Amino acid sequence: MPATYPDSAQLKGRDRKISEALLNKKRFRVLGLTPDDVIKYFFQGNAAVAILVLVLIMVFLLREGAGFFGQNLRNLRIYRLAGLEYVDFIKREVEAHTELTRAANALRMRQFDAYLKEGKTIEEANEALAQYDLFATAFGDTVNEVRSIASDMTEAAVAIKEKEQIYRDTLEQKAMLLRAGRSAEAEAVVASSVDFKSEVEALKAMQPAFLAANVEFASKIKAALALGGREPLQAPYMGPFNQLKKHAETYLNSFASVEAQMARWTNDQPIPWYESVTAFLFGREWLTASFWQDWYGVIPLFVGSLLVSAIALAIAVPLGVAGAIYVSEIASAAEKGIIKPYIEFISAIPSVVLGFFGVAVLGQCLRAVSQTPWLSWFPGFPMSERLNSLTAGCLLAFMAIPTIFSLAEDALNNVPRHFKEASYALGATRFQTIVRILMPASLSGIISAILLGFGRVIGETMVVLLCAGNRIAIPDFTQGIGAFFQPVHTMTGIIAQEMGEVVPGSIHYRALFMVGIVLFIIALGVNFLAQRIVKRYRISIG
Amino acid sequence: MNATFETRMDTLPQAARGSQQGAPDTSDPMIEIDHLDFYYGANHALRDISLQIPGHQVTAFIGPSGCGKSTLLRCFNRMNDLIEGTRIGNGQIRIHGIDISDPAVDTIALRRQVGMVFQKSNPFPKSIYENIAYGLQIQGVRDRRRLDEVVEKSLRGAALWDEVKDRLHTSALGLSGGQQQRVCIARAIAVEPSIILMDEPCSALDPIATAKVEELIHELKKNYTIVIVTHNMQQAGRCSDMTAFFYLGQLIEMGKTEKIFTNPVQKQTEDYISGRFG
Ligand SMILES: Nc1ncnc2c1ncn2[C@@H]1O[C@H](COP(=O)(O)OP(=O)(O)O)[C@@H](O)[C@H]1O
Ligand SMILES: [Mg+2]
Repeated sequence: MPATYPDSAQLKGRDRKISEALLNKKRFRVLGLTPDDVIKYFFQGNAAVAILVLVLIMVFLLREGAGFFGQNLRNLRIYRLAGLEYVDFIKREVEAHTELTRAANALRMRQFDAYLKEGKTIEEANEALAQYDLFATAFGDTVNEVRSIASDMTEAAVAIKEKEQIYRDTLEQKAMLLRAGRSAEAEAVVASSVDFKSEVEALKAMQPAFLAANVEFASKIKAALALGGREPLQAPYMGPFNQLKKHAETYLNSFASVEAQMARWTNDQPIPWYESVTAFLFGREWLTASFWQDWYGVIPLFVGSLLVSAIALAIAVPLGVAGAIYVSEIASAAEKGIIKPYIEFISAIPSVVLGFFGVAVLGQCLRAVSQTPWLSWFPGFPMSERLNSLTAGCLLAFMAIPTIFSLAEDALNNVPRHFKEASYALGATRFQTIVRILMPASLSGIISAILLGFGRVIGETMVVLLCAGNRIAIPDFTQGIGAFFQPVHTMTGIIAQEMGEVVPGSIHYRALFMVGIVLFIIALGVNFLAQRIVKRYRISIG
Repeated sequence: MNATFETRMDTLPQAARGSQQGAPDTSDPMIEIDHLDFYYGANHALRDISLQIPGHQVTAFIGPSGCGKSTLLRCFNRMNDLIEGTRIGNGQIRIHGIDISDPAVDTIALRRQVGMVFQKSNPFPKSIYENIAYGLQIQGVRDRRRLDEVVEKSLRGAALWDEVKDRLHTSALGLSGGQQQRVCIARAIAVEPSIILMDEPCSALDPIATAKVEELIHELKKNYTIVIVTHNMQQAGRCSDMTAFFYLGQLIEMGKTEKIFTNPVQKQTEDYISGRFG
């Protein structure tokens, strides 16, 4: 039946129709793009912009921050060259003495208060303390000679450092003139470099005077200690007093090593380049805009940030996770409808408002609580400061709860329902099902929720700036729990506080950028870890 | 109430299990349902259902999707309690003569007596051993030897022992679908229930795995009362003694399986079985 076959012309026509349909030439296009393409490129573009911005931020941070190490190295070298390091041996000795004097005065204060409580009048109390005062005054005065030598040497060293600064400024000026093409004027500017060797010789010439004064100092201390008599204080205060005496003895014994260090010291010992890095990463002091020597050690800020975050997590993790468990497993639909929006609303509160609350209310409340007499057994109570790491930690916990709660709840809800049903069908209680099935199955999700909560907390700025007390010092961990009630400063706080005041390009400016880089790396690391954990969790649930 | 329930639950199945030696006491209905109405909120899912499920037999529930088979099955171990807004409007469910719809019934004890195997095999993301031991561990059994024994016995009971005895401590999720479903059956029988509910246990399995599970059901019937929901007519025909046909939340007909399949009383049953709807 050949007639029923389509002839070749017909065939060709049909093929063309099919191929046209397949190529879909009539489809709506803008600039040759279909709507699907437009959507695709739009989102690809968004992703590309996000990545680009991230890269730019990193490049910028590194560019601004990297110069820090060179500048810090010079900072450290001049510290040695100009003899500041040398003078610091003496200054530290003087400071240690000041510490001891302060302790002695504090002890007097306690005894004095005790006398007043006993019913003595002020005159009587002073009378009773006469013996102790003999000791305390004498002890306080012992240092005078050494202190005056130290301040002479300080001046001398600062003068050397200033000469160096002037030399550098002149060079700068000359370079600027040259760049401006005013070479004649540049010629006229004379920069004379500092001869550190001979300058420091002058400084070292004061050493014999110091040594003599130091011997005197030691014998005076011994005499002062003898002045205290047998029992200048009442029994309960004799323990601390003897402790103080012991400290004074150790202090005296340290003189020999100070003198030896000074004898050994020369200003031409080179400082290796890596010290600039270690001085930043492991430096225990952050001291800026000082007339003497600036230190850029990140440790106090890092510890402050970590301490505040640890407090925040210690509060937020139990509450956030328990809340998530409650909402996802126990609460009725009505309760869910109330609790969830409320918790999620917390994250909408501007952090400056929270900080304000911390300053105005929470700090005060916490301190009032710590001052109640029947809580005085608690270590670290009463708190001496209203704004401290606990205040900031509590508020940060409040901010971290929504993050931890929402992500942990997601993780729990992601556990397939049939695991839960299987457990109940075997006669498990709700508690058993939560603890033995749901928690293990969502553990990595919960851990990553906690990590992201940590990321949220360590990056928070406003609250810590307002409420952490902003004292740049490593908390005294020998006080145990009391360390949590001390004011700290944080990495975010210091950037926010100081960035506005620094000269762009200065070492201080670059140091702040380095702190920013440390923060950035921590945040990146935490997020990366959280994502890795979530990925593993997906696989394990399968 | 709880005490009587537990004691009767403990004694009665023991008496019933006497059948292992003698003939099964099929005259004693294991589950009795009287005029049961069940609601999901406002949705009236089960309407006036009355039926009796005999002990030591396999009872199949058939019917088109959405007719309430799973709902009824989940009433037997009160799994519907987990869904908010569900309630029994009317009627009674008695297991071993005890009304389990009473809110005072201890659902934990009930679920230990009435085990369940789900449509989608759902072993926990734990090892095979831990899966089987779970039911005992939550009852406080710590004794390692006892657990070992029960695990082996249950896996043998589920015809899985030989296949997995060398990998008891590897993840149950690494097994094939059929093996996973048998792990779930082993897990259910490890707590020694008297009744096992199965909700389309083979719907996700290939024919070979299905055959194995069916064979297993046949074995299990000696020791347990089984209620199985199935969409597969041949399966209902092959492995059940009794069949109940549901339609739109109502029980249309229940009787001996041969009778339902060869000579149903109701026209709707005949239409469904012959594949004219559903
Ligand atoms: N969790 C639930 N919530 C509300 N309605 C439900 C729920 N589960 C089942 N239903 C309703 O109950 C009826 C019976 O469902 P089901 O028992 O699952 O049927 P079957 O197992 O026979 O396919 C259906 O109308 C279904 O929509
Ligand atoms: Mg169903």
